[in-house]
Amino acid sequence: MNLNSIPQPEDEVPAIDLMKVPILGALFRWRYARPLLQAPLLIVSVLMILHGLFGPTLAPKNLATTLSWLHFRGALVLVILCAGNFFCLACPFMLVRQMARKIFQPRWNWPRMLRNKWLSVGLFILILFLYELFDLWSSPWWTAWLIIAYFGSVLLVDGLFKHASFCKFVCPIGQFNFIASTLSPFEVKVREQSVCTSCETKDCIRGRREAASDLVVIRGCELALFQPRKVGNMDCTFCLDCVHACPHDNIGILSRLPGSELLTDPLRSGIGYFSKRKDLAVLAIVFSFGALMNAFGMVSPVYAVERWLGRVLGVSHEAPVLAAIFALVIIVEPILLLGIAAWLSRAWASTKRSLLPLAVRYSYGLVPLGFGMWLAHYGFHFLSGLYTIVPVTQSAVASLGHAFLGEPRWRLTGLPPNLVQVIEIGFLLLGFAGSLTITHGLAAEDSPSQTLRMFLPWAAVCAILWISAMWLIFQPMEMRAMLMSG
Amino acid sequence: MSLNWSCLLGAEKHIRSFRNKSFHIRTLGAAVSILLWIGCNRQAAPPSALAIAFEVTPQPVHVGPVTVDFTLTDAASRSVTGAHLTTEADMTHAGMSPVFATVDERQPGRYESALKLDMAGDWVIQLHGTLSTGEKLERQFELRNVRPN
Repeated sequence: MNLNSIPQPEDEVPAIDLMKVPILGALFRWRYARPLLQAPLLIVSVLMILHGLFGPTLAPKNLATTLSWLHFRGALVLVILCAGNFFCLACPFMLVRQMARKIFQPRWNWPRMLRNKWLSVGLFILILFLYELFDLWSSPWWTAWLIIAYFGSVLLVDGLFKHASFCKFVCPIGQFNFIASTLSPFEVKVREQSVCTSCETKDCIRGRREAASDLVVIRGCELALFQPRKVGNMDCTFCLDCVHACPHDNIGILSRLPGSELLTDPLRSGIGYFSKRKDLAVLAIVFSFGALMNAFGMVSPVYAVERWLGRVLGVSHEAPVLAAIFALVIIVEPILLLGIAAWLSRAWASTKRSLLPLAVRYSYGLVPLGFGMWLAHYGFHFLSGLYTIVPVTQSAVASLGHAFLGEPRWRLTGLPPNLVQVIEIGFLLLGFAGSLTITHGLAAEDSPSQTLRMFLPWAAVCAILWISAMWLIFQPMEMRAMLMSG
Repeated sequence: MSLNWSCLLGAEKHIRSFRNKSFHIRTLGAAVSILLWIGCNRQAAPPSALAIAFEVTPQPVHVGPVTVDFTLTDAASRSVTGAHLTTEADMTHAGMSPVFATVDERQPGRYESALKLDMAGDWVIQLHGTLSTGEKLERQFELRNVRPN
């Protein structure tokens, strides 16, 4: 492959390269850093499964529900916000897959027609739907089975198909992390393009091979991201395979402006052009509107809407009513809002682009708002229930007959609600500002002479979503395990 | 006739590898089966002869102070007196602050607890304590659809 044709960005001096931070850099350079980080999470996952299946049936008393729905989700979004996709790096499912691949070697390549995000977007919606339908947050048993199902799916998919098929094309959590980490301050990136230009082996993608046998001894990128052409964090699991494979030590974890990758539309290795990926645009839309839907499911007005819909549809079962609400929020609302905004911006700014490409292009601008809502929602649960892990762990240990952690201190909860609400508002403001910045940047590029006209309809969409999100966080929370009750 | 030893060695290695694989498959299968069996056959606590009637006032239940009455009777429908009890109310979602309260015996066998529910939704009320006989008591009651003010 001739790298001379690769456009060379202007040399930038990154503020921070995590690979050069003492201790941390040494850890990441160590070949077994990933298993070291995965092993504790695997142990915790097994404990969660066991406690979910055999422990207390009440969610606040169980490790499976407390860790899954409070700590894991909250820590995940905060780590993505503050650093990057480090949860994929420490993914325990991949450790099990690696162990399984020592026994079974996959034979097939992932089917060509499924090499996109449609399946994973569908699974993402399905998980959001099942979460509401079966009140997964209130059931340690179902939560444990969800984790088991995840392990099973990983083993099945990556047992049959080569490379990281599960991560790239199936994993709903992975897609969430990929789209959210477009707003992270760090990315895995080459330090100097000139080094890649002169590189002849391309180990970062091909893997480092033994000279005599040509066998791969250090894996290259399993997600088909060729480092010199890689742009941003989309599809990057931070697995650091490329870092270990690069013979020139030319790959770092570099700081960058969060969200900057959403402002540009270059050809991205392993992805293509964002503007031509309808599946990715739908992922961005589901990510953004799904954030509102997920939070809406936890506040009082949802029950009034649900009762009204139940009467209108003449049904008393939860599933069709919930499906209708999901369809309204995740399909109808985005089509209407993005369609009208695309039509208005096209009419006002006299752009030549047709409606669908415009909607696809600007849908990525909603990602910061969506992330702000996820941060506000998950951050709320995480911060307001931060210390609950202490009594739950004390109780779990005590149930085994060991009292060395003392009596469970059930009164330990978390930060005061008033403080948490201020933090929530901060996340939403940050998301709103990010979405306005990105849509304005896109508008300035698309229509330099009529930027404001191009920008205003999208700013209005952002404002509608932000107002909805603000309204949501001020609603009284109402956590029911039975949506249709009462 | 000469034997091709390397071929035999290769075959043996192949068979051993297959046996290893089948061992791993069997182990994995057994582990999953055990997990399924235990998980699906989890036994509920044996029913006690003690009957507890549970009532919350005022109805419908709204966020704020509520009174929970427990009436304890034994197998012969006699009031169970002298129990030392406490209540704990939890939301069905993890991470919410639980509410604790003492329980007073207002009439023989009739116990009352004042709780302050601070959120709308579904609650689970747990009754902890010991009976006058020294027997431990742990019961759980669902309080659904607590409405916002």
